Formats: sequence, structure tokens, C-alpha cells
Amino acid sequence: MVEALSLDNIINSIKLNLEGLVKSISISKGYIEVVVDASHIVEAALKLKSMGYDHVKSITAIDYPKESKIRVVYHASSYINEDLAKTIIGLTADIPRDNPVIDSLSQVWRSVEFQEREVYEFFGVIFREHPDLRPLLVIPELAEKKVLRKDFIVKEESIYEGIPHKY
Amino acid sequence: MKGSSIDRVYVGNLNIAARRARDLLLGKLKLGEIVDWATTFSLWPVHLLTSCCGAEFAATWSPRFDAEQYGALPWVGPRQTNFIVIEGTVTRKMACALRITYEQMPNPKFVIAMGACALDGGLFYNSYNIVRPWEVVPVDIYIPGCPPPPEALARAILELRKKIREKNIASKWLIEGWRNDRDYVSPKEDVCRWWRP
Repeated sequence: MVEALSLDNIINSIKLNLEGLVKSISISKGYIEVVVDASHIVEAALKLKSMGYDHVKSITAIDYPKESKIRVVYHASSYINEDLAKTIIGLTADIPRDNPVIDSLSQVWRSVEFQEREVYEFFGVIFREHPDLRPLLVIPELAEKKVLRKDFIVKEESIYEGIPHKY
Repeated sequence: MKGSSIDRVYVGNLNIAARRARDLLLGKLKLGEIVDWATTFSLWPVHLLTSCCGAEFAATWSPRFDAEQYGALPWVGPRQTNFIVIEGTVTRKMACALRITYEQMPNPKFVIAMGACALDGGLFYNSYNIVRPWEVVPVDIYIPGCPPPPEALARAILELRKKIREKNIASKWLIEGWRNDRDYVSPKEDVCRWWRP
């Protein structure tokens, strides 16, 4: 019987498999953060998939207006491999804020497709070679405003502004 | 304790119902009153669950609170219903579905707005993605609360029935062709994005 993989073993095997692609690797809160270059993200995702990470749990983006970058994070994990299922990989790439273009991973993991559409509508990140890139939850006029970026300011409303008219 | 006579009519009383049926058969009642009477006992809400108040909506029709005793039965098709309960917050995309559902229902039709979000935004009052339901459809009864208990929804149905019976809304609506006792509400915003090419 094969012994259970420890966290260090998993990190070492990721370092081995993704040699030359990883910028930095660290244990973050709850997941292993793997930072790669934005141009190598498809390559890194393919290697992670061949290791056994078969699905993506969520995709998110973080806006850093002072550093003028957007960080896209893919949380990948495994269903089939029991040892890898205990860990979550945060596959991370930084892209410039004024030209937020990154390669789509929908050819690697099919579950990514809808979640990339959500990141597109909230942050304006454009995923190259995405099969169907249009807003998912909000209307297109709102998607143009990129509502979850830090520089989008929600208009303050008074609670008493809109009282239903009497009839 | 004896309630007032009007209360007994609205919750259903066998003696009064029998007396009314007799009056109806003898021709003492006008046809309009029969229409109002029939409408109050067949308020069928359409299944349009917009938000989390839908859980309370479901509990209202559960055996404990049993809103079917008021003649209200949730139904799937908007063409066979005459009543919408807006459960909670309405997003911009949902406003389109709400308006289309409202337009599909036959007259006379009524709307109850349920929960703080449906009144004035509630938790999301400062959000970019919600609309107030009273800007989209004409609302008859508002229920405050976050969420309102099932008793409140049951009470709102009773209040709506009282309103229909006292103001003869349903019969006037059918006779005159439109509703005169309140303004027509059409959405000021382009909820379905049909205005622009």
C-alpha cells in the first residue's frame, strides 16, 4: 500500500513537475499558492492536470490599483486522487491592469468556462480563446463598468429616497 | 369570542357561504359581486421565486400554516394564475422575468411584495444590481420583515382578499377593461434591454 503524501511531498512534486515555470510557491491560508508567469499558465495547468488535479473549484481575481496589476487565482483540486483531494492549489498569475488579457484554461478544465465568464464581467479580464465570452449574471451595461474593481464607486443612497407612492 | 361579521366572511364560514349561495341562486346578488367573491377564493400565485423569502413562501403552503385554506394554490404557468408574490430582492436580470411573467397573466391580477428587499432594497439597498419591484410592476400589499414569517404572508393574502371585496377591484377591472383605482406602472428603466437596437 502506498503511503499518504505529506504536504511537503506534494510541494516537492509540484516543484519537480512545473520546473522552470514556477515563480514562487508557498503555503497560504488553506491552499498552496503557486505563482506562475501569465504567459505560461496553460502549460502549468496542463502539467497540474497530468499530476491529478482534475477540476477547478473557483476562480477569482484581486485588484491591486497601486501596483497596477490584477491577480487571477484558479483554485484547483482533485476528486479521484485521495491524497491530492486534501489540498487545494492556488494557480496564480499577475497581469497588467490597463491591459488585462490572459489565456483561457477552458481547454484544460471544462468547468472553468462559466467561472471565467464571471471574472470577465466583474473585473473586465479578457480570456483569450474562450469559446463564449459574454457576461453571465449581470447585464452587459453593468459589465462594462467592471463593478468589482476598486475604483468603481457605488453611489450612496439615502434610505428615505425611494418611498413607494400612495394610491 | 365572536369576530366581526366581515372577518367571518373572509376566513370562510359555512353559514354565511350558504346564505350567499342562496342569495346568488335567487338573483339577489349582482354578477360583479360574484366575480369578486370568486376571485378572492381563487388567488393562485405563480412560482416566481426571486430570493430567499421563497423559503417562507414554501412554509406558508406547508401543512402547518396551510395557505390553501384561503383558496390559494401555487401554480407553474403564468397563464393560469392571477397573483405574484415577489419574494425578496429583484436583480436587474430578474426584473425582466418578473415583468414578462406579469404581462403574461390574465386580468385581474395582483402583486404582493414580500420582505425588506422588495420594499426598499433591504440588505442590498446600495447595490448596483437591484431594482425596486414597485418600479417594475404595480404592488398591492407590502409585507415588511427580513424575512416575514409565514403568518405574515397568510395575513397579507387575507388583506388582499379584503381589499378586492371592499373596493370591488376584480369586477370593475373586468367591466372597465383596466384598473382605475391606481396608476398604471411601466418600468422607467430598460429592464429587458429591448429599447435599444
